[in-house]
Amino acid sequence: MSATTQLPATPTPSTPSSRVGGGTPRPPQRLRRGGLRSERPGVRIAAWATVIVCGGFGLLPVYWLLATSLTPRDQVFAYPPRFFPAAPTLDAFASLAANEQLFGYLRNSVIVSVITAVLSVLVSAYMGYSFSKFRYRGRRSLMYLVLASQMFPQALLLVTLYSVFSAYNLLNTYTALVLSFTTFTLPLCVWMLKGFFDTIPDELIEAARVDGASRLRIIHSIVLPLAAPGLIAAGLFAFVRGWNDFVFALTLAGPEKQTLPPGLVNTFIGEASTAWPELMAASLVVSLPVAIAFIALQKYLVGGLTAGAVKG
Amino acid sequence: MTHRDVAMSSSQTHTLEHRKSQTTPRRLSDGQFAVLLLLPGVALLAGVVLYPLIAALVTAFFEQSLVLPGRTFVGLQNVVEVLQGDFLRLLRQTMVFTLGTTILPFVIGFALALALNTRIRGAKVLRGLMLIPWLVPGVVVSFLWMWIFNANYGVMNALLQGLGLVDDPQAWLAQPGTAMGAVILAKTWQSFPWMMVMLLAGLQTVPVELHEAAEMDGAGTVRRFFSITLPHLKGIVGLVVLLEFIWNFQHFDIIYVLTGGGPAGATQTFATAVYETAFQGYDLGKAGALGLLWMVLLMALVVVYVRFSEKGEER
Repeated sequence: MSATTQLPATPTPSTPSSRVGGGTPRPPQRLRRGGLRSERPGVRIAAWATVIVCGGFGLLPVYWLLATSLTPRDQVFAYPPRFFPAAPTLDAFASLAANEQLFGYLRNSVIVSVITAVLSVLVSAYMGYSFSKFRYRGRRSLMYLVLASQMFPQALLLVTLYSVFSAYNLLNTYTALVLSFTTFTLPLCVWMLKGFFDTIPDELIEAARVDGASRLRIIHSIVLPLAAPGLIAAGLFAFVRGWNDFVFALTLAGPEKQTLPPGLVNTFIGEASTAWPELMAASLVVSLPVAIAFIALQKYLVGGLTAGAVKG
Repeated sequence: MTHRDVAMSSSQTHTLEHRKSQTTPRRLSDGQFAVLLLLPGVALLAGVVLYPLIAALVTAFFEQSLVLPGRTFVGLQNVVEVLQGDFLRLLRQTMVFTLGTTILPFVIGFALALALNTRIRGAKVLRGLMLIPWLVPGVVVSFLWMWIFNANYGVMNALLQGLGLVDDPQAWLAQPGTAMGAVILAKTWQSFPWMMVMLLAGLQTVPVELHEAAEMDGAGTVRRFFSITLPHLKGIVGLVVLLEFIWNFQHFDIIYVLTGGGPAGATQTFATAVYETAFQGYDLGKAGALGLLWMVLLMALVVVYVRFSEKGEER
């Protein structure tokens, strides 16, 4: 059918862009861990002490999130708080499930994040390929302008974006959210995908070219299929970044089109007495898709991160 | 099968297409094609990043409201007003926040990376678990720490009272003296796992042989850390510290949800101040002026970052 069906199993890029973004040397495959063979007792004790102190800082709040979400509503307002909830209950989750407004936010979050991810990957695949496989004047400058553009402050971009979207009657639409989300997903995806395309050997493209495949066809039937893991990784990163966005959705959308993060703030914060178990339960629910995406992404984590990827 | 085989076998099956493409009139040159590929992305970025940025900076020179049409040119008046007003306080608070949320996560992340790079039991599981704080969305971090720091029922007060460190429960987020520290701690909790992951990846590229050789020559753990590990990590340490600094310099979410910049502006940074001026004060001119000064500082950092990245990118 096409040249691609006969392609040899080309090595899948496993560490996409470890060079990107700076001095990260690519970790050699299967290298022995940097740890020592024999550890002195002193080192061992220091390691454990560090794990207990820093690990406690990292994980106790997570425990508290879980514990509170399982605490009955009347027990949560007790001081000192009980470290183990006396009668754990799923009431908080049940009350969330009954809240239709929250489902609206959830739907918006899913729609906007998915569209953002698809659009970002589409646009950045072409851009990343151009950066990776062609040489022309201004290429480097443009590449670094794209890299730098994700560091322009969102609060400042919003000043204009709000007025522009307002002028075109786009406030409170999915379009406004998707467009504003691409300000941070596009640079990330472009750099990630460029890293992936760099690992596709030029000879392969040359061979297809000799066969007479058009340049567009080479992209669509050779390069993109080979870079599929990269497209998925970039898409998931974009999804997560869109899912986590707070300030754009807060400002550009009203209650009907708002996503979960600002939705939760509007629902729970600023009331006389916050429903903490519900809020903690909702926090768990909103974190879940991110956790799942990252389990899928583990392999690409460091490479994608070095691309200036995941903003805190 | 090698690439050459592919080329040969497909050249037989694709002669038809080959001919077709030869007859296509006016083929684009490679350069033109490459630019064509860029167009959608460039158009999008120009529309949603470049134009908004420039337009926002230009408003610095106008008196303009978010809700009223029209604007008047006022020259440097906004900039002067900002410089005479809040600027120094905002700069100081932004620097405190940024330095705190860069240094603390670095120390914790580095310590954990070193500890989990040894062969202690459960290191692998712990590495995974430690990522949780970084996986949860920013608003969740805010909700959680808002609850931990709660003045009446918060677990932080209970913990510190239990340890005898405070006498009475404190309203951590509502007191000007403690609010910034509390916000920094919440952001630190979100940031340290990323530092840990990056530094762990760096640590794993340190050749074990070097350590073994040094150990045989009698170099102790501390000595080896400073003469082998640290020099190897110079690049990655520079990168993570720089990136974290740039991100925190413009961080918005956690501050805004936890304190909204309060109490009495004690946790206000450039990010929250620009947002508040534009969307609660409706004063676009002043927001633009603040943004202009903010961008000048930020651009200096970004230039350093781009230089830094270029060194690692050979093509």
